[in-house]
Amino acid sequence: MTTVTLAASMRGGTKDYGSGDTAVRALDGVNVDIARHEFTAIMGPSGSGKSTLLHTLAGLDRLTAGESSIADIVITSLPEAKVTEVRREHIGFVFQSFNLIPSLTGRENITLPLDISGKPVDPAWFDEIIGILGLGDRLTHLPAELSGGQQQRVAVARALVARPEIIFADEPSGNLDSRSGAELLGFMRRAVKEFGQTIVMVTHDPTAASYADRILFLEDGQIVDEMREPTADRVLDRMKQMGH
Amino acid sequence: MFRLAVKSVRHNPKRLVLTAIAVALGVTLVAATLTLTNALSSGFSQLFEEIYAGTDVIVEQDPAAVADDEDPFAAGDDVFTAESLEAIRAIDGVERAEGGIQVMGSVLAADFEPTGDLMGAGGAPSQIFNWAGDPRIDQATLVEGVGPAADDEIVLDLDAAPRLGYEIGDTVMVATESGVSELTLVGLVRFGESNSLQGATLAYLTEDAAAELAGADGYQQISVIVAEGADAAAVADSIGEVLPDGTRAITGEDKAAEQTEALDEVFQYIDIFAIAFALIALFVGSYIIVNTFRIIVTQRTREFGLMRAIGVTGRQLRSMILLEAVVIAIVASTVGLVVGYLGALGLSALVERFTGDLFGTVTLPLDAVLASYVLGAIVTIASALLPAIHASTISPMEALREAATESKKPLARRNIVGAAMALLGVVAITVGLYMGLERPYIYVGVGAVLLVLGVTLLAAQVLVPLAYALKAALTRVFRVDGKLAANNIRREPRRSANTAAALMIGVMLLALVATFTESLKSVVSEQFAGSNADFFVVNPQGPIPPGALEAIEAEDGVAFVTSTGLGTVTVDGTAMSLAVIDPDTAEQAFDYNNEPDFDRLDGGVFIDPTVAETGVEVGDELTLEGSEGSATLTVTGEYLNAGDAQLWVDEETGAALLGEVEVFQSMVVLDDGVDATEMRETLLAALADDFPLVALQTPDAFQQLANQFIDLLLGVISALLGAALIVAILGVANTLLLSVTERTREIGLLRAVGVRRSSVWRMITIESMVMSVFGTILGMILGVGLGAALVLALEEFGFSTVTVPWGWLAFYTVAAAIAGVVAAIWPAWRASRMDILQAIATDG
Repeated sequence: MTTVTLAASMRGGTKDYGSGDTAVRALDGVNVDIARHEFTAIMGPSGSGKSTLLHTLAGLDRLTAGESSIADIVITSLPEAKVTEVRREHIGFVFQSFNLIPSLTGRENITLPLDISGKPVDPAWFDEIIGILGLGDRLTHLPAELSGGQQQRVAVARALVARPEIIFADEPSGNLDSRSGAELLGFMRRAVKEFGQTIVMVTHDPTAASYADRILFLEDGQIVDEMREPTADRVLDRMKQMGH
Repeated sequence: MFRLAVKSVRHNPKRLVLTAIAVALGVTLVAATLTLTNALSSGFSQLFEEIYAGTDVIVEQDPAAVADDEDPFAAGDDVFTAESLEAIRAIDGVERAEGGIQVMGSVLAADFEPTGDLMGAGGAPSQIFNWAGDPRIDQATLVEGVGPAADDEIVLDLDAAPRLGYEIGDTVMVATESGVSELTLVGLVRFGESNSLQGATLAYLTEDAAAELAGADGYQQISVIVAEGADAAAVADSIGEVLPDGTRAITGEDKAAEQTEALDEVFQYIDIFAIAFALIALFVGSYIIVNTFRIIVTQRTREFGLMRAIGVTGRQLRSMILLEAVVIAIVASTVGLVVGYLGALGLSALVERFTGDLFGTVTLPLDAVLASYVLGAIVTIASALLPAIHASTISPMEALREAATESKKPLARRNIVGAAMALLGVVAITVGLYMGLERPYIYVGVGAVLLVLGVTLLAAQVLVPLAYALKAALTRVFRVDGKLAANNIRREPRRSANTAAALMIGVMLLALVATFTESLKSVVSEQFAGSNADFFVVNPQGPIPPGALEAIEAEDGVAFVTSTGLGTVTVDGTAMSLAVIDPDTAEQAFDYNNEPDFDRLDGGVFIDPTVAETGVEVGDELTLEGSEGSATLTVTGEYLNAGDAQLWVDEETGAALLGEVEVFQSMVVLDDGVDATEMRETLLAALADDFPLVALQTPDAFQQLANQFIDLLLGVISALLGAALIVAILGVANTLLLSVTERTREIGLLRAVGVRRSSVWRMITIESMVMSVFGTILGMILGVGLGAALVLALEEFGFSTVTVPWGWLAFYTVAAAIAGVVAAIWPAWRASRMDILQAIATDG
């Protein structure tokens, strides 16, 4: 594997919260490589540091020590304004909840990343995403008028529309019922398979994780295991070993 | 419950900081005003006590017999004769009685140079009296040299001499009606205990010299010292029995109290005037309080729902919020009181550096404390009432809802109420301005408040389409930032409208005053445009000395001088102001607003609108009674401007009624072809020796002076409105701050997907500017409208055209945009510094 094919990577990633007696080490020398065109899931019990890993990889939070990069750009040493630019140009986000700006319509929310950077919308690509996600008739609605599943699909569409280097998803199906959740994860998998999108997802749900190509298991701030071509059962077994 | 409220305030103090400041600002103004006027009042009451301290009984003209519009401090000449003085001296219990003569004049500085300008002659006035040589009567004690013994000797107070540049032995120049006299300074005196004269110059002459300079045959007042053991009040009564009509004897103590009381009345008006502006600021502040509490209630909907679920009653919730308001009111009023007191302390110290002793001890008067807390509490609690009632209706189910947003009630009810209030307001204002009712200001005031409230309510409806319209433009210029800003304004139209309306109130009053003053300026320039006069003759010391007019008339090149004298006559028992003019020349110098011209006066009388309103018509006969005689005159015409003088007669009639009439304004018209600039030099040179203080103003200079005065008026009112404007800007900042808190997650999300800090800042700033400019434009529309209505209502005072103050309006708009940027600083700083992860994780 050469570095060229990496969408994101972290070397010796360490993150401490607080100081002195109350210091907590959330990440403890993590080395991660996220390959392009792959769907990676990060799993671990709560407090294992999986959200911290996602946040530091995505440049939302800074590492205490170590180095992380997005598309060969080392973001750990960049000033805040540059990191913002990296997020804008190379990263898409899907959060667990509150993904959309309440005052913007579905369409406006989807094109938000392009509007921010002043890039034109590729209409063919836009229509393709909308078609796949089945959002065609919801584009003029405000988020408050959409169901939870629809809101998350708009969020995925927004993450996809700028064709970012990498999409980070934090429990994207966590607030959805199982059918909507399965639908959403199916779309994300299709995005990886059909469009070559790179996705990193944090989840504690074995079923959700089984949609991924590769699962990284995190415990006490360290990567303890890795699984390829997972199934829900295998993931569940592995999790049980970790004490869950 | 109180503990819960205090905890709630302490738990989240930031959101209440600006609210408290808004209340505190209004209270500061109230406290400072009351403290200052109280100190001024005690300062003057001290002065009066000193003036009348030594004198047991004062015999003077009865103020009840003097018409209201005459200066109550200027006593009439020759009230008492030498015989009255003798009669008083003969009364039992009188130890000493002395006649007092006051000279109208001015002690000139040693280096005085006549400028011929009104402004150059400024400075504190001079008080010149005759010297009795008894501190109990003079109220002054000799501290150096001797008292005036010869008629060419003078003494000055010990502060004035060095200020004016004189030492004992120097020749002192005194300008009076009859010219400039040169007297030798022989001594210095101290007034009262500490020579606190409020900056005035005090001088004494011998009785003969004073009588000559004053042109007086008798005394204006008699000061009496009673014998030891005699009762001053009893002596005053016995003196009263021998006095001529229209005069009275009063004890010194009573006189001091009376003067203090009269001045306190003036201070009361100052209080009312300043407190009116404080109330405006508090009214604007109440908008902020309403907004703050509404937003807080919305943000805490889930918390309140939870409290309701665990058994807190709606009433308890309501009292809790009102208690929060009480806590804010107490804190804010205390802060306002302290700041106001300190401000008054600082201001009085600053003023006294320039004027000398003016204030008494600056203490915090009880009424300032009471007014501060009462006003602060009323405004805060009344404003919190509606949000509190709203909170008490929150159902326990709200605790379970996902997100807290203000309920999307349609604006229909708000619009109907708003329209009704606005309409009612307009009607009330129209009635007040044009129906000629008694106390029209009550109608206008109530109408203006209704109109403001109505427009506030309607503004929410205007904002929605406006935000839609602006969205396209803002999106084009500022891309996403502009779009989001436009959306945010539309999202909570009530909140945005209330915020903008707070600014609207201040700007409305500014625009109103500006419209009024600009229109006033055009009235002035119109009047001067109708003037043929080359110069106006003015004497800052009072009436124009007849000698000065004679000197001007005597110069070659002067065509004529025409004068307007002023006096008081009685018509059917009512005192009326009388103007005396020369009908042949007056109209040639000035285009008076009369019907017909003065050359048709024909020995009759012209009446002004206030007289015409009582039913008097052209052709009627009026009997005028003056001090020298009475005359029955035919009304031959009307003088169309109210406010100048009620009755206008020619010089012959004036002389028959009042004898010699005091002239306050004269106009000089030069021969054709005479150079006015050169002629002014010539005339001033002719006046320099005897009447150095008399000024010759060209109509241009006079108009400039008038405009300067009008601008000063605008400046003072604008400054007083400053508090209301600052409160309104605080309101914009406050609303934005609370919205930013509310939109924490949204801003976090924007930041996460790559919106720069600077963009977040810009978004908040655009929102702020739109609200500020919107409020300002609404305010300007209302202000110019009301100003125009006011100007039209004052047509009878000579207002003819409404002048829209475009320059000021442009300035206000730019200032509003800048204010918007400033108001956005704190909220935008908070929004752009927000920690992304925390923002995303924020609950609710």
